[in-house]
Amino acid sequence: RAGTKSVPVRLRGPGPLAAAGLKLPHAARAAAAGMLFYSFFKSLVGKDVVVELKNDLSICGTLHSVDQYLNIKLTDISVTDPEKYPHMLSVKNCFIRGSVVRYVQLPADEVDTQLLQDAARKEALQQKQ
Amino acid sequence: MCVFRDGEACVSRGGGSEPEWGPRGASLAVGVSAPLTMFRYQSLEDCPLDEDEDAFQTLGEEDEDIDQFNDDTFGAGAIDDDWQEAHERLAELEDKPATARELEDGAVSDEMELLGHHEENLAERLSKLVIENELEDPAIMQAVQTQPPMQQPGGLNSSIWDGSAVLRRIRGPLLTQEMPSVSVLEYAMPQRPPQGQEDERDLSERALPRRSSSPVIGSPPVRAVPIGTPPKQATVPNFNQQILCPKPVHIRAPMQQRYPSPYGERMSPNQLCSVPAGRMSPSQFARVSGLVGSPLTSMNPKLLQGRVGQMMSPASGFRAFFGAPPPPAPPPSQQQHPPCPGSHLQNLRPHPQMFRPDTTHLHPQHRRLLHQRQQQNRNQHRSLNGSAGDRAGHRSSHQEQLRKDPYANLMLQREKDWVSKIQMMQLQSTDPYLDDFYYQNYFQKLEKVSAAEEMHGDGPKKERTKLITPQVAKLEHAYKPVQFEGSLGKLTVSSVNNPRKMIDAVVTSRSEDDETKEKQVRDKRRQTLVTIEKTYSLLLDVEDYERRYLLSLEGERPALMEERKQKICDMYDNLRGKAPGQERPSDDHFVQIMCIRKGKRMVARILPFLSTEQAADILMATARNLPFLIKKDAQDEVLLCLLRPFSLVLYHLPSGTVTSLLQQLANLPQSATAPAPANLHLAAVLQNKFGLSLLYLVLSRGEELQNSSAATELMQDNQWTELMSMATRELLRIPEAALAKPVSTPSNLLSLFSRYVDQQKLNVLETKLQLVQGIR
Repeated sequence: RAGTKSVPVRLRGPGPLAAAGLKLPHAARAAAAGMLFYSFFKSLVGKDVVVELKNDLSICGTLHSVDQYLNIKLTDISVTDPEKYPHMLSVKNCFIRGSVVRYVQLPADEVDTQLLQDAARKEALQQKQ
Repeated sequence: MCVFRDGEACVSRGGGSEPEWGPRGASLAVGVSAPLTMFRYQSLEDCPLDEDEDAFQTLGEEDEDIDQFNDDTFGAGAIDDDWQEAHERLAELEDKPATARELEDGAVSDEMELLGHHEENLAERLSKLVIENELEDPAIMQAVQTQPPMQQPGGLNSSIWDGSAVLRRIRGPLLTQEMPSVSVLEYAMPQRPPQGQEDERDLSERALPRRSSSPVIGSPPVRAVPIGTPPKQATVPNFNQQILCPKPVHIRAPMQQRYPSPYGERMSPNQLCSVPAGRMSPSQFARVSGLVGSPLTSMNPKLLQGRVGQMMSPASGFRAFFGAPPPPAPPPSQQQHPPCPGSHLQNLRPHPQMFRPDTTHLHPQHRRLLHQRQQQNRNQHRSLNGSAGDRAGHRSSHQEQLRKDPYANLMLQREKDWVSKIQMMQLQSTDPYLDDFYYQNYFQKLEKVSAAEEMHGDGPKKERTKLITPQVAKLEHAYKPVQFEGSLGKLTVSSVNNPRKMIDAVVTSRSEDDETKEKQVRDKRRQTLVTIEKTYSLLLDVEDYERRYLLSLEGERPALMEERKQKICDMYDNLRGKAPGQERPSDDHFVQIMCIRKGKRMVARILPFLSTEQAADILMATARNLPFLIKKDAQDEVLLCLLRPFSLVLYHLPSGTVTSLLQQLANLPQSATAPAPANLHLAAVLQNKFGLSLLYLVLSRGEELQNSSAATELMQDNQWTELMSMATRELLRIPEAALAKPVSTPSNLLSLFSRYVDQQKLNVLETKLQLVQGIR
């Protein structure tokens, strides 16, 4: 309702990579558009975070590294509820696949919310183009 | 020739040691001809004997075929290996791995020539698949260790890539802590000296099933044993399983099949999946081309393991782009690396083989922070630690773990590099500042803050290294959809580059009449929000101009300046609402913006860019509507963010403006009539933190002006005096409890008030407003 002209909406599916299979670098580079949270988590490397997974497991640890898929590596981890997950007692470091993360709890003073908002706006502009 | 499906082992039928050609005695071992022959025989068997001559003729013909088949299988056409002998030899593998090795060598050398020209073609084809020009990116190339033309250390020739080498279980030193998947920010692994490889060498030869056709790109490999099965200690039985088939051809099979198998047999699932289907691993064609080379004799697992043990940070390519001199590149020197951030392995206290992450790709500020943390942790753990004896204990147990790690060296260094390369390629960006906006800016801000703090101290000591992220030139790919000549119409192929329109959504706006008042209000708010967002984009652009200015050429700069000015004007227009005529009679638009939290923040950010008049205008509008804004801000409490830019603006304002500003605050009409007993406007202002602080600022500024050379103007201004008296009256009137707590109390207020009130009232004011420094 807000707009006055008709805007055709395009939904981008993932698209078969086969067509671009041999041109992988180009297609892959296009994927670099959604790098906001990658950039954000990079700035948090070395800080203590609590990662809550979709299976309700909460892991507290130091953020060791993150990649473009937001896979997370934590070091020196401890499970917040050890009684429930005794198998985690001996685990010191872990790798968490990005897709299973539900929440990441961060220290508030490590985040610049204004900058984050700016980054989100820029990304939205970029995506529109 | 028997076609294996999914690794079914072909087992000979028991009993008969000699393959019989009897109708039903034909063993499967005979080969693909066997089913046909069997079929024929069976059909003949079933054929009634009183068939006409045709049947016998067919029989005769088939006899000839049989002979031909015979020849193929057993005669001149066949390969001469005696399966029984081979079988016996292989059976000995259980006891003597060494023997098996020789056997393998022998077998391989036989087959080399046969496979020779096959592999060359394949290698050529495969190498074309790899896009070499992408690999010229220095960032990527530095992320990997191997050079595209294979240069192995120690004078190894390409035969090291022989399939048997791969199939052999290579035990290399690998930290158990190393995560199998490669993360872009993977920290560097120190190189470990190979530890006792000789005893580890097993012939875990697993014969992979043969494909009937050339390798199909993208199709998954066929595996004899499921992926991810860790190699057993005695892997030879596995070998035997495959080879038990007495077919003579099968002995050759493992060698021949090696080239179709794209992967080493011991890739763990995540590693396997990480290889995109569309490409084949470089190690595959490396292996392939390796098969062309001379036989196995020069294969030296020790050297191979030496290389395999390394794991270089894929992101270390960024090193080259640093202002600071890059640390020594080659992996062997990683052992002397600077201390790593974050003690990762608490059980591995300081010792040369500690897991040292590579942080050179991080912003220098970030690195510093991490180092500090790591130092802290280190000290903590040192205090908790026992004697050095404990550490030694740790070390040996750790090495124990390493030696027994069944998942070590699943990937060759080359394969790891290849995966890293792909990941790095995906991270290439045409505009790192934009793509990596948050990270870059965050640490820039931190640096500014720390620099500001340092300035108070003894000046900047630390080097001002800048993080320079490599940038790739943007290539314009004009996508041309697939077309065939002579075809009618075009193919509709949807791909990543050419996504198909899935939904056609048409947005129509509703007409004005239908909307009710409520909806109008809602719409208005939405419109305001849209305006705010548009203005925000302009603001971000304007804030970016400084950086662009530095990057641009001389000729472009005036144009940039123009653009910037234009954008600033646009922003201002957006803020105040498009001017209907010359005047801007209503503040409505502005007030609407100011009612929304992000609107207020945006105004605070825009103010520094505006000209003095424009800024003053904004200030006026704010002061005019302050009570309303205060009321609206009760929830957000964001008005305070405006104080700072307001004070900056005030500093530049002439006295006349200040007066009128105060007027606005006090909400007096131009010509003051007898003042009301209570000025509600001002009262509201005083009760709010922001309002009071703003008032103080204005008063303070006025005082400054009075003290300065242009003071006489102000002194003579009746309005100012009047306003001052009104202000002081109000301040005296208001109960102390209702008075807000200002952000800061300017020091010159006391002197200001002393001009306008007598001593008694001054004392009252003093205590009330806590104007004297000592009172808190």
